[in-house]
Amino acid sequence: MAAAAPGQLNLDESPSWGSRSVDCFEKLEQIGEGTYGQVYMAKEIRTGEIVALKKIRMDNEREGFPITAIREIKILKKLHHENVIQLKEIVTSPGPEKDEQGRSADGNKYKGSIYMVFEYMDHDLTGLADRPGMRFSVAQIKCYMRQLLTGLHYCHVNQVLHRDIKGSNLLIDNEGNLKLADFGLARSFSGDHNANLTNRVITLWYRVIMLWTDLQNCYLELQNMAQLSTCGLSDAFLQSFCMENQFCLGKTRMNMMGLSHPFDALALRFFSQSFDMILLHMPEQLNKIFELCGGPDEAIWPGVTKMPWYTNFKPTRPMKKRLREVFKHFDRHALELLERMLTLDPSQRISAKDALDAEYFWNDPLPCDPKSLPKYESSHEFQTKKKRQQQRQHEEMAKRQKLQHPPQHARLPPIQPTGQAHPQLRPGPNQPIHNSQPPVVAGPSHHYGKPRPSGGPNRYPPGGNPSGGYNPNRGGQGGGYSGGPYPQGRGPPYAASGMPGAGPRGGGGGGGSGGGYGVGAPNYPQAGPYGSGSGAGRGPNMIGGNRNQQYGWQQ
Amino acid sequence: MNLQVMQLLKPKADTFDVSTSDDEGPQGDLKYLPCPPLNSEACNCEREMAANFWTSSHFKQLLEPEEVDVVPSLDKEKGLTLEEFKMIKIHMTNYISRLGQQCKVRQRVVATAITYFRRVYTRKSMTEYDPLLVAPTCLYLASKAEESTVQARHVIFYIKKIHKKFVYDLKDILEMEMKLLEALNYYLVVYHPYRALSQLLQDVGMADLTFLCWSLINDSYKMDLILIYPPYMIALACIYIASVLKEKDTTAWFEELHVDMNVVKNISMEILDFYDAYRQPIPDERINAALSKLSSKP
Repeated sequence: MAAAAPGQLNLDESPSWGSRSVDCFEKLEQIGEGTYGQVYMAKEIRTGEIVALKKIRMDNEREGFPITAIREIKILKKLHHENVIQLKEIVTSPGPEKDEQGRSADGNKYKGSIYMVFEYMDHDLTGLADRPGMRFSVAQIKCYMRQLLTGLHYCHVNQVLHRDIKGSNLLIDNEGNLKLADFGLARSFSGDHNANLTNRVITLWYRVIMLWTDLQNCYLELQNMAQLSTCGLSDAFLQSFCMENQFCLGKTRMNMMGLSHPFDALALRFFSQSFDMILLHMPEQLNKIFELCGGPDEAIWPGVTKMPWYTNFKPTRPMKKRLREVFKHFDRHALELLERMLTLDPSQRISAKDALDAEYFWNDPLPCDPKSLPKYESSHEFQTKKKRQQQRQHEEMAKRQKLQHPPQHARLPPIQPTGQAHPQLRPGPNQPIHNSQPPVVAGPSHHYGKPRPSGGPNRYPPGGNPSGGYNPNRGGQGGGYSGGPYPQGRGPPYAASGMPGAGPRGGGGGGGSGGGYGVGAPNYPQAGPYGSGSGAGRGPNMIGGNRNQQYGWQQ
Repeated sequence: MNLQVMQLLKPKADTFDVSTSDDEGPQGDLKYLPCPPLNSEACNCEREMAANFWTSSHFKQLLEPEEVDVVPSLDKEKGLTLEEFKMIKIHMTNYISRLGQQCKVRQRVVATAITYFRRVYTRKSMTEYDPLLVAPTCLYLASKAEESTVQARHVIFYIKKIHKKFVYDLKDILEMEMKLLEALNYYLVVYHPYRALSQLLQDVGMADLTFLCWSLINDSYKMDLILIYPPYMIALACIYIASVLKEKDTTAWFEELHVDMNVVKNISMEILDFYDAYRQPIPDERINAALSKLSSKP
């Protein structure tokens, strides 16, 4: 019982019951941007140990310590697993610390900064996958995938939903270990009671949307990867993404364990609430899902037509499940697992736990031992992205000077409609991606509730371009699946990679025929605005371009 | 003995809130399920993966009674006695629950806040950390940690309703929040006896005693039991007291549980002793005298 001398144990850990100062660490460089603060690589001065410091942004003067940080700390203190990032300690910077704007805090401790100290990981998956020439072996993919699922399962068992699974939140070290990180959006849920998911947290529904876009991003990103790698590391992530995603779709935030969980019915009640918002703001995303997984109907999801929101979101036309078609280059077991993970009906969807038992992991090539994996020089999405952004920004500027928003831009081909949702939801760094896009849109206006910017070049009618996003074989113009959907900043590493200029398709711009948006092209032969701009504007993404060529995205 | 105890219990159970808000009865939302070894359902096959009470910081931080009943040295220098120290803690516990009622937070938030409050004073002195500021800040922090946030300015508003002479403002609360987080070493998850209670009562078939047990648990927060014993043991002790009071025979059931009955009985005795010692409400003068010792210059 209590006799386990816990007192002593704690005393050893932290003799004064206070936090150490951040001065114990020497910041080396910034390696990321978390949900609510920067992440630095740092060295503990005393031991020389390399750690990651995540700064907790304290900008709400009225509500003190951010509740998001409280959630993350609570969750991280609860989770101890080899596939979940370990929170080592929390340190504070007591004195007045100058922040970026040169303001200095007035010495009050609560105005100082707080840092979470994590173990340092060499890569994040996005960064790693984005390395020029990077190619994962099947055994390696399975190895990562298995670790991801193990970590996810552990979270679910402990009633934690990560809610933000994506490449840049999957950290990998040079021992081949993969760990889930950034629990800034994660929530605990209670297995037998849902009172904590009531109106009290209504603001979170907006989060869901944000989350949703994130996931959408991630989803498309994965589509890219799916095409790049022959046997889908991507599908792995696609799967995990979808497990998270479906809980957004089908069960809101309750439970991405999927599965026949007793509180499915409850979850659906929440679904109906959040669903309206999703529906209102991003029907395109839903359509994307349906295009891939088939439209929800009684056959694949018994009971779905009885749900209150069904009439609102049922697809306008019947949609066939196209998984097997789209991912036909996957081997049988991968496809099988993918299919089970992408099942719309939450009660039929596979859980992380069962997924670990899937044939996929027990057939040749078997998942390799993490230790056997090659070591790479450190790579973080943040850094590669930053470089690319700067480059792109530069190009954009040059281009904008050339093109003064020609009026015809208001009528643009229906690009992957996802695109326009992002700028508002994710006010990223200010660098527009579409040459013609008014800079305002990308500005820091945080209007989750606002439908979408009216007028302007990014107002694309939805639905015009089904499937173009991920079918490498459709639309002769091929693979520019990534161009549209990604706005700046958050964008995928491959954003614009398929764009004219670099790609083998576009023929350096003019002839692009809107090809960047795949199938849409035939309908819009005069895809002018991008055509002319593209050669100059989108070209510079050499990494992406190289990759496309290298991996023969056209198949 | 039974009769005597019942008399003691009766008014207490009524005065101390059974449920601080309408949305939560005894079956309320207590999401962190302690996992007593006796409950096979709670200990599912995933046990080795699951973070539960036994792997929690709460468990690791359990203290010995001797460690809790220590007047911090700074306070001792000012002449604060152990009795006064305990008295202030009881007084502030009541204060937190009244404030919690005002703010309409769940009992769980109140219980967590009290736990934070008591934990802080195993490490910090009342001289440095004024209980009058720490108490509301604990409630504020607990409301965040338990996902039912009360805005800081509302906390202030409600304090002023019950405590006109409150001298602190918003800034002080936020500043104290940071200090508390540090003092608590950022361990914010607290397990409570309430959850275990409803399961156990169903198992023993005494669901009709829920109200009584619930009240006993509420009162247990006026002591430091939550810092010393695993929550389900406190729940068992309360069930034990209730069953003795109501003359129900639970001997066989307790035997089946394979818990250390000595511990259960010890906790029960502590609770009964507490009722005995604090039969009368503590006079305000004594509280004020103790608090003024703290603010005196040495």
